[in-house]
Amino acid sequence: MALKQISSNKCFEGFQKVFEHDSIELKCKMRFGIYLPPKAEIGKCPVLYWLSGLTCTEQNFITKSGFHQAAAEHGLIVVAPDTSPRGCNIEGEDESWDFGTGAGFYVDATEEPWKTNYRMYSYIKDELPKLIKANFPADSERMSIFGHSMGGHGALILALKNPGKYKSVSAFAPICNPVQCPWGKKAFGGYLGSDLTKWEAYDATHLVKSYPDSHLDILIDQGKDDQFLSAGQLLPDNFIAACTERKIPVVFRLQQASTKKYLFGGKQGGVVCCIHPII
Amino acid sequence: QSQEAGRELPSCLTFYHMDLYESKGRLEIFPEEPAGREDGALGETSKESTEPGEDFCSSDRSAYDLEKEVDELTKLYGLDEDKEIDQKLLGGNIATAGILERSYGSIYNAPKSSSPVNGSQRKEHMETTEEQELPGKDSQDESQHLHNAKAYDELHNHASSKEELRSDDRQAEQSIQPNSEEEAADIYCATCKIPIRAFDKLFGDHKDHEVTQLANAVESAKEEIQKNMCKLEEQVTEMENFAGHLEEIFITVEENFGRQEQNFEMHYNEVMQTLTQRYEEKVEGLGEEKKQKLEALYGQLVSCGENLDTCKELMETIQELCKDKEKADFIKAAVPVVDRLREFLKKDMDLVLSTSPDFEDRVIDFSDVQQLMDSINTIAAPSAPVINPQAPNSATGTSVRVCWGLFSDDTVEFYQLYYKQVSDDTPSEAQAAPSPPIIKRKESRSCENAALVCWESGNMNPVDSYTVELSKLTNGENGDIITESIVGIPNCEALIQLEPGQSYVISVRAVNMGGPSERSEPVSIHTTGTYFYLNEDTAHPLLSVLEDGLTIACSEIENLECDLSFRDNGFTRCIAILGTMIPFQGKHYWEVEVDENMEYRVGVAFENTHRHGYLGANSSSWCMRHIVTPARHKYEFLHSGTTPDIRITIPPKRIGILLDYNNWKLSFFNLDIAQHLYTFNSHFQHYVHPCFALEKPGVLRIHNGIAMPTSITLL
Repeated sequence: MALKQISSNKCFEGFQKVFEHDSIELKCKMRFGIYLPPKAEIGKCPVLYWLSGLTCTEQNFITKSGFHQAAAEHGLIVVAPDTSPRGCNIEGEDESWDFGTGAGFYVDATEEPWKTNYRMYSYIKDELPKLIKANFPADSERMSIFGHSMGGHGALILALKNPGKYKSVSAFAPICNPVQCPWGKKAFGGYLGSDLTKWEAYDATHLVKSYPDSHLDILIDQGKDDQFLSAGQLLPDNFIAACTERKIPVVFRLQQASTKKYLFGGKQGGVVCCIHPII
Repeated sequence: QSQEAGRELPSCLTFYHMDLYESKGRLEIFPEEPAGREDGALGETSKESTEPGEDFCSSDRSAYDLEKEVDELTKLYGLDEDKEIDQKLLGGNIATAGILERSYGSIYNAPKSSSPVNGSQRKEHMETTEEQELPGKDSQDESQHLHNAKAYDELHNHASSKEELRSDDRQAEQSIQPNSEEEAADIYCATCKIPIRAFDKLFGDHKDHEVTQLANAVESAKEEIQKNMCKLEEQVTEMENFAGHLEEIFITVEENFGRQEQNFEMHYNEVMQTLTQRYEEKVEGLGEEKKQKLEALYGQLVSCGENLDTCKELMETIQELCKDKEKADFIKAAVPVVDRLREFLKKDMDLVLSTSPDFEDRVIDFSDVQQLMDSINTIAAPSAPVINPQAPNSATGTSVRVCWGLFSDDTVEFYQLYYKQVSDDTPSEAQAAPSPPIIKRKESRSCENAALVCWESGNMNPVDSYTVELSKLTNGENGDIITESIVGIPNCEALIQLEPGQSYVISVRAVNMGGPSERSEPVSIHTTGTYFYLNEDTAHPLLSVLEDGLTIACSEIENLECDLSFRDNGFTRCIAILGTMIPFQGKHYWEVEVDENMEYRVGVAFENTHRHGYLGANSSSWCMRHIVTPARHKYEFLHSGTTPDIRITIPPKRIGILLDYNNWKLSFFNLDIAQHLYTFNSHFQHYVHPCFALEKPGVLRIHNGIAMPTSITLL
């Protein structure tokens, strides 16, 4: 699969690059950001997949998070894909900010007109890692996944649906229980139709109830004053209760912070690398 | 970046290819027919072209070698090189064509075309040409051109030869730039060091050459690049080191310069002072001499004057006398005068100059100045160094470490160390050697890199110093061979640096004038981890330490009012106890084992943390706290009374605690699942000690002296 390099910038002795490729799953051109630490020039490095939240592209994490220094220090490759297929000209895809473009919800849609292109789950699960492995010095034995908000939901479900694939998962203000919150209901309704069992297959709180083992390290950070928390969009308590019952190890931290989007501006790198060296 | 090419053009624009010589399906600047022809004209890198000259020429050319003429003319007008000009010319093509036509007209017998070519007529031709030629655009085949340009026979001669030239060029170009129409290179010719097609290997120039798979070649090229990258990196490091070294040398040069400058100044000042002094002395001497001479001369002058007066007076007297006629009076007066005269004449008139007008030569003695000047270049001898008093831990049984201080003004080439044994051969009988000290075992603490050993003097009388003897146990040797001894210890404790992962046997001797005592009972120290002991003096009355020294228990809290005997240094509210840990940098690790239902606080605190306070409620303590509420397990990480809001889904039973002074961190782990729980980031300003508290009756076990498990070293 041919990759086209869109940009390349030196950063903390490594390179922050953006590539574009023709995605088979999504049937359109997709971009992703990839940070290659200095260690990548010498050998294979573990890979961290970052999933962004609603309305984001591959750029937000690159420009807003400040993760590069930590990634360079710890020798981590960080891949940041886009949040949905783009330019597919599907009717209605740009009507709302929380559904369609920029809001793929990391599912494989089954309903028209989304099911051809909106297959972010398979893209993140299979196509992207294969691409990364084929083109970059990636240690495929060591992968972890993390994300923010909708990306946090994506990270959690990808880890829970693929036991053993990721060494650890962490999420910032994730949507933990989409079938119960307005965002989830809207998105799942649109992408998956009205069959609730299909919804549950993409809901972290449900998935955790049947997670086969407990060899998963989950770290969740949530801003206390996050408006979406109080609006009932995130529902971390449900997830924690399910994990406690199922004895899945989770450390959940409620941080003194308000704005959700730029919550962990510089902290992302630091917080992440606090737990990710496990890989 | 050729991204733009992929973008859609707004529909109102037609694509006009700028390259006159390249596009065969050349569009007129004023197109008669629109977009239909566009497809023909498009083609970014298509090298097919027609010479504009062809467009201009009419059909009525007689056979003539126009090539040269056209070449010259195109060069003249810069038509073949400058595309910009071409465009302009094409815009004014009719005029130019006219020029060409006319010039051709004179050469040819082409009456029909003698008049300035009818634009429309030409256009017709051109259009015809183009339409005919369009289908043949993609073809490299000369014959096609010949076909299409049938009407222009003579034209063809040079047109085709032009075409030949062009197509030759094109072919050459094409072979250099592989088209997407051709196969891509898929193997690698090692002999020529270029990628080639497999086809070429079999049938082409590379028949006999060494080939490998392109992928392999790429791999090995990459490997080599990576190797060289490493070398480059090494070089970079070397150069950076060198640059750093150079910077240091810069500073040294400056310092040395300063010192030399000072030296010179000092010496030259000395010399100048001496010279001035000498000069002044001599000048003074000269002055003295003058004074003396003048005085002498003046004296002479005065006495001369006196004599002169006397002479004159005598003469006057005699003359007066001789005037006197009376003989008797004359004789009376004359006799004394004669006597006086006689006397006076006897007197010695000193008419010789008493002093010479010349001055003696004075020479300044420069000999010692010369010496001074010669000594300028010699370096002054350095001052005597000052030897530091012997530090503890600076001697072994057979060696001693001596340190001394250097004066920064001195230049030193080397030192000479002299020593002489001063121990008395005859032991003083007056004093007996002291008794051996007693090591306080329970109070020994250690970590991977050091141990702190304390002891009691064991003597009524004061001793001069203590000597600690270490024996490193390797390969199961016994502890009799002393590997290191530390002398001159003034107090009853010693902080000893050790190697990690070893076992030592340590004993102490007391020393006085009578000599050293016997060795004390030894204590074993293992540098496998951090050992601390629980300081029972700090324990809350309700907290007791069990026999193993590392398990604490809280008894039933019955009646808080009565009978609680608080210790002076003990906690009064928080049922807590402090450990006493070695005051040493680096990492310290220990573990705590609890029951799921235990309510506890574990962490670290300063030695002077508030005994009336609760662990974590003040700024001198940090701890993890667990309590059980009806709803769930509640976890807090307390410092200065605040905690982040944390939920932990699996209550830890074995907790690992890591204190990292270097990175200013205190971390907690759930060891059973190798899960990181929380880390305090705090720049500890003083050494801290482990602290433990129980909030309700129960038991808490401590494990120390162990290494951190690898499962959490990476966390």
